[in-house]
Amino acid sequence: MLNVASPLINGLKITLQHLFKKPVTLQYPTERPVVGPRFRGLHALNRFHDRSKCVACYLCPTVCPAKCITVEAAEDPITHEKYASRYDIDILRCIFCGYCVEACPVDAVKMTENFELANYKREDFAYTQEMLTDKK
Amino acid sequence: MVNLTIDDKQVTVEKDATIYDAAKSAGIKIPILCHDKKLHPFGGCRMCLVEVEQMKGRLIPSCTTPATEGMIVRTSNEEILKARKLVLELLLLKHPVDCPVCDAAGDCDLQNLTYEYGVSKNPLQDEKFRWEIDYINPLIERDMNRCVHCGKCARICDEIVSFGAYTFINRGIDAKMGTAFDGPLDCEFCGSCVSVCPVGALLSRPFKFKARWWSMQKVKTVCSYCGTGCQLTLGVKDNKVLTTIYDENQGFHNGQLCTRGRWGYQFVNSEKRLTTPLIRKGNSLVEAGWDEALALVASKLREAKGAVAGLVTPRLTNEELFLFKKFFTDGLGCESIDHSAGYAHGALTEAAVKGLGQGASPSVIADIQKTDLLLVVKTDAYETHPVLGFEINLGVKRQGVNLRLVSDKKGKLSRLPGAQTLVHTPGSEVTLFNTLTNIIITEKLADAGAAALPGYELLVKGVAGYTPEKGAVATGLGADELTALAREYAAAEKALILLPLGLGYPGHNATLAQALLNLAILTGRIGKEGSGVLFLGEKNNSQGAVDMGIIPGAKGKDAAGIIAGCASGEIKALYIAGENPVVSYPDRKKVEAALEKVGFLVVQDLFLTETAAKADVVLPVCSFAEKDGTFTSVGRNVQKVTKAIKPVGTSKTDFEIFNKLFAEFTGKPLYLSSQAVFAEIAESVPGYAGLTWAKLGSNGIVRPVALSPKFVPVESVVSVPQPGKFALLTGSALNHSGTLSQYGEGPMMVCPEGYVEFGRDDAKKLGLIEKGTVTVTSDAGSVKLQVKLGNRLPAGVLFAPYHFGVNSINTVAVGAPVTWVNVAKAE
Ligand code: SF4
Ligand code: SF4
Ligand code: SF4
Ligand code: SF4
Ligand code: SF4
Ligand code: FES
Repeated sequence: MLNVASPLINGLKITLQHLFKKPVTLQYPTERPVVGPRFRGLHALNRFHDRSKCVACYLCPTVCPAKCITVEAAEDPITHEKYASRYDIDILRCIFCGYCVEACPVDAVKMTENFELANYKREDFAYTQEMLTDKK
Repeated sequence: MVNLTIDDKQVTVEKDATIYDAAKSAGIKIPILCHDKKLHPFGGCRMCLVEVEQMKGRLIPSCTTPATEGMIVRTSNEEILKARKLVLELLLLKHPVDCPVCDAAGDCDLQNLTYEYGVSKNPLQDEKFRWEIDYINPLIERDMNRCVHCGKCARICDEIVSFGAYTFINRGIDAKMGTAFDGPLDCEFCGSCVSVCPVGALLSRPFKFKARWWSMQKVKTVCSYCGTGCQLTLGVKDNKVLTTIYDENQGFHNGQLCTRGRWGYQFVNSEKRLTTPLIRKGNSLVEAGWDEALALVASKLREAKGAVAGLVTPRLTNEELFLFKKFFTDGLGCESIDHSAGYAHGALTEAAVKGLGQGASPSVIADIQKTDLLLVVKTDAYETHPVLGFEINLGVKRQGVNLRLVSDKKGKLSRLPGAQTLVHTPGSEVTLFNTLTNIIITEKLADAGAAALPGYELLVKGVAGYTPEKGAVATGLGADELTALAREYAAAEKALILLPLGLGYPGHNATLAQALLNLAILTGRIGKEGSGVLFLGEKNNSQGAVDMGIIPGAKGKDAAGIIAGCASGEIKALYIAGENPVVSYPDRKKVEAALEKVGFLVVQDLFLTETAAKADVVLPVCSFAEKDGTFTSVGRNVQKVTKAIKPVGTSKTDFEIFNKLFAEFTGKPLYLSSQAVFAEIAESVPGYAGLTWAKLGSNGIVRPVALSPKFVPVESVVSVPQPGKFALLTGSALNHSGTLSQYGEGPMMVCPEGYVEFGRDDAKKLGLIEKGTVTVTSDAGSVKLQVKLGNRLPAGVLFAPYHFGVNSINTVAVGAPVTWVNVAKAE
């Protein structure tokens, strides 16, 4: 015979248990989440002296599945080194997969714990090299 | 034929094949680093090691070992893989491995092999190379830290380019690929070394850091500079042509290019490109819309009907030229159309038509390497068509072609092994050829069938006066030299004559072409493999322009007549498509005055050229990279040009413009595409019958010719030397082609301005030094030019290239084979 009561009771038990547990929801923004160290938030570029560490190898724009990174290379007129004269991420298109970080051969791009990316205008989601590079 | 077994596969190959060739033909891949199919085997890198059953005990380099009967070859086993891995580990030992900032990455043999063989750790350790990197050179960046000592650069520069810029210097671990005395690289800048370098040791500086190899679209097309018709791969990204990419399997030339082809592409996306139509308002040209501009052009052409003329550049596609002609004949009822100042195509349109029955070269490019005796008129053939120059180099060095040059100066070709240069008095070419013809007739060396050909009697009479003795006086050569050359030419089993044509060579006209055709016909050279005459049309589509009938009709005026007609007021409206007569036609002042005089001038061009600046309406057009079509190159090869990028600005193709005007003036429907026009060309142009767009494929088709040889005797016009004056010869500089290359950065980086070249003795007498300034004056005008010193000019002879708008030599030159000038040192 089919027991109608027992699943019902089991379900209610779980519900009642949860009534007395600590809630998982956070009272954002007054409460802040603890973000794990390998969290994939907004990108940042490591700094090397007076510019970002990016050498404009084009591996991240190549690997990026969302095609949201734009890099342009330039030659330093004195040292002849290659550097990124432009490094833009259109964060609206980014899927935060982290491939760019994985592809970078010189450890220039990383992902931070910053997840608070809301903004008012579309343009404000276009992150430039200047915005992304670690401050001195 | 040789039979051998490779990886259990039976392979049969030619006797001279190596194991590597044999494997390749069987589709078995053996890795290589230092081997190149164009070059002699070298065997320097040991990447291609294989095991041969009969030579057990050691591994054998497959690229240098000939395949022999019954060989049993294994191309991979554990030992071989280990050996190859070791080769890579050793190469990487001192290699910087800076792939992230190396432009070769993605197209680097070392990188690819390292990946393929999984060399991720190196058990060996050493310091990295610390060679100084050459950042100074404008075109080639040399970073010898990345060099893998394959020697390909030195070998190609020596074997094919015949320049010899590089050699290994130092010994052992200090060995390095370098230039003479390790100095700066100052060469021809053909870029062959850059293309074959398997790594990032030699890189194109103008392209440095512009894009990654894998991110570019590779578009196969044809070079738009000279008539050689080299195939080209454009590297395209974001609608911009960023570079040319080497493809060793492209064309008869195996991907080799010259400076203009390899480094002259920047004109396509030049800042200077015109982007909107311009209409003259008072003294200035102001931007206008297409409708307004085209309406104005149409109304002015209608007004001037009956007094219209057209000049068009042979750089356009066949389809565009065909439409241009149709627009002029059917739409305007006008027969006054021409190109290249008239004389630069006379060899084809007049001489070949009269002497062979049709306006094309009887011979093809492949004949250069197949001939026994190659007779080149002017060493300049190398400068006008550098990649054909490589063919000559290869013919002489590999196929044992005997090279003879008749020229008014020496040149690079003169230095080839066994080459003999007869340096004659400037302007005496026709006499020279008539004399050769005379000698062959009098010595009875002519072909047995010659006497039966039409015009033979006339020829015999015509050249009777050109005895060796008289010829010797006129040409400044010895009678014995002329006789020896005539005998040698007649005796050769196969003999081919090359005649470069072009705006810089007014002497290379119909008369000269006729004289050498007579000689070739007389000795039975026409229609035979490896023999005949090859006219080297100057521009990418010079042959096409002739085929499409861009020549004046019976009642029409030729280029010179058109200029004169403009000056006299007889021509009221002139339509110039792509030509730049102000700079490239002789007697600049006269041309300028004529263009200022003409009632209405339309110029259709990529740039605001010196000619366009004088126009009433300027229409911006697309470059070769923005359109589909066909070019017909030297030797009648019809090849496809492919659109690589969208039109720059609002520019339209010449095709669109002519199509519109044609439809408007004839009331006929528009052609739907270049293909549709090509189909009509195939129907109506002799020699193109049966060609279809699809059939052209990627290598093009050498269109056939029907030849009916006939003798047409010609008289020489002797240029009388003027005492105290220099004989000025114009021509092409190696790094330039026409006036277009002025807008290509590469050519301008290595040859930025006009110059006049002096022999050392003349310079000494005048007290001139390299890079000094002189004023060159003729009856037509005077110009200040930089001095260049050289060893190739005889006393009293000067040379100046014609490509440059600033201080253009055509201010002085008047379109005669020789212009007599005074020279004064300028302060
Ligand atoms: S995280 Fe992924 S999607 Fe975002 S920029 Fe990097 S590679 Fe592109
Ligand atoms: S030459 Fe090749 S292996 Fe060497 S740095 Fe350049 S891409 Fe890397
Ligand atoms: S660019 Fe041409 S001429 Fe110059 S070194 Fe390279 S191969 Fe030789
Ligand atoms: S520079 Fe390039 S082509 Fe020349 S030897 Fe070195 S690796 Fe080979
Ligand atoms: S300019 Fe002539 S020789 Fe040079 S690459 Fe172009 S077609 Fe070839
Ligand atoms: S490819 Fe055979 S030794 Fe280099």
